[in-house]
Amino acid sequence: MKVFIKWAALVLGIVLLQTSVLPGYLMSLYKPDLLLILMVFLALRAPIATSLPAAYGLGLLKDCLSGLYFGLNAFSFLIIYLVLKLLSDRLYVQNSFLMVLTVTASTFASMLINILLLSVFSESTGLISSLITSLIPHLLMNAFVASLVAILPESFRVKDIR
Amino acid sequence: MYDFFRKNIVVMLVGVGLLVALITFSLNLPKSRQANLLERGVNSSIAPMQGQASRSSNFFIRLWRDYIDLVDLKQENNRLKEEIKQQNSSLIAAAEAVRENERLSRLLDLRKSVHETTVAALVIGEDVTPWFRSLTIDRGAESGIREGMPVLAAAGVVGQTIKVTANTSRVLLLTDHASGIAAMIQRSRARGVVKGRGDSLCSLEFSMRGEDVQVGDQVVSSGIGGVFSKGLPVGEVTMVKKGEYGIFQTIAIRPFVQMEHLEEVLVVLHAPQD
Repeated sequence: MKVFIKWAALVLGIVLLQTSVLPGYLMSLYKPDLLLILMVFLALRAPIATSLPAAYGLGLLKDCLSGLYFGLNAFSFLIIYLVLKLLSDRLYVQNSFLMVLTVTASTFASMLINILLLSVFSESTGLISSLITSLIPHLLMNAFVASLVAILPESFRVKDIR
Repeated sequence: MYDFFRKNIVVMLVGVGLLVALITFSLNLPKSRQANLLERGVNSSIAPMQGQASRSSNFFIRLWRDYIDLVDLKQENNRLKEEIKQQNSSLIAAAEAVRENERLSRLLDLRKSVHETTVAALVIGEDVTPWFRSLTIDRGAESGIREGMPVLAAAGVVGQTIKVTANTSRVLLLTDHASGIAAMIQRSRARGVVKGRGDSLCSLEFSMRGEDVQVGDQVVSSGIGGVFSKGLPVGEVTMVKKGEYGIFQTIAIRPFVQMEHLEEVLVVLHAPQD
């Protein structure tokens, strides 16, 4: 229960940071996707029983706070989570660089999945140009934040996941 | 005799000493205001050292006093800094209040000009992704807001409400890809649909090639579609391109409202006509 409250507080903090604090300081293009970074972190390090619903929940949460299409990010988060989970057993997840790499790849994958889903189920003509325009700054920002997560003390991270 | 001296040598020496001291004292009494040879010698020889010692001592005294003063100064400095901080905070708060007042006054003017019931709301959040354009406001269904209601700012159209909860609503901004508002050029009455481009600009689509549209023209809502009433300011034409082929022209519009700096908005409680 204590761990759950701790994680809920962390997610709340991230949401507030991303929706109400960071927009005041950062240009729209440079918004980091903190929820995605958290999902990648969970996929690499947390047990599947807790991280799977958490990943989907984070996607749903993102959908609640973004755009029109509810379920879009939840789906892409779930796909990315499953791929990462499949790979995580074969990866040295304690490696800091891996975190940066997986976050970058996941950001890219998330955008591709979003474009694909919108192309199939909705209209994405203009959106694709926006996604492409914001791709590089968004990737860089996410990689930067992931590098900050990677330098968190190991004891803090491991202890919190259990 | 010798034995007598030997036995009483100490007493005699003390006695002689006392006698000499007494004689010296008594001899110097008449000239007590003048320095004798010994006094002059001693004083002359130690005077330089005394001067040096005195200067050193004074230096340390000054140092100590300066230190104490500095401590006081530091305290005073801290106090003054704190006062300045408070004054600055007050000034900033006052300036902020003035700006807020200006914004709210403009919003109130707009409220008066909109002949429908409106609800003022504060912007409390932004979209978490950079490619969708939406805002979260602090009013929802409890304030009478429903999906599809027009949202305005002092400068013009902001967008329309989506995903309304009891106490919050999301506002799909004019600049979002999914946004579309029936609009017209105020000067020539040329019609089209203002669509978001995902950045800070919009485009006027479905405007016929032959229509008279020029850079600098004001774009207002046309009232068609039933969401926005006629004549609400939308933006300004920044680019017009007429290709060789095609029946439409390409028109870029800069919205009057700066979406990145919105703090207060007005929701028009106007049921959209389906």
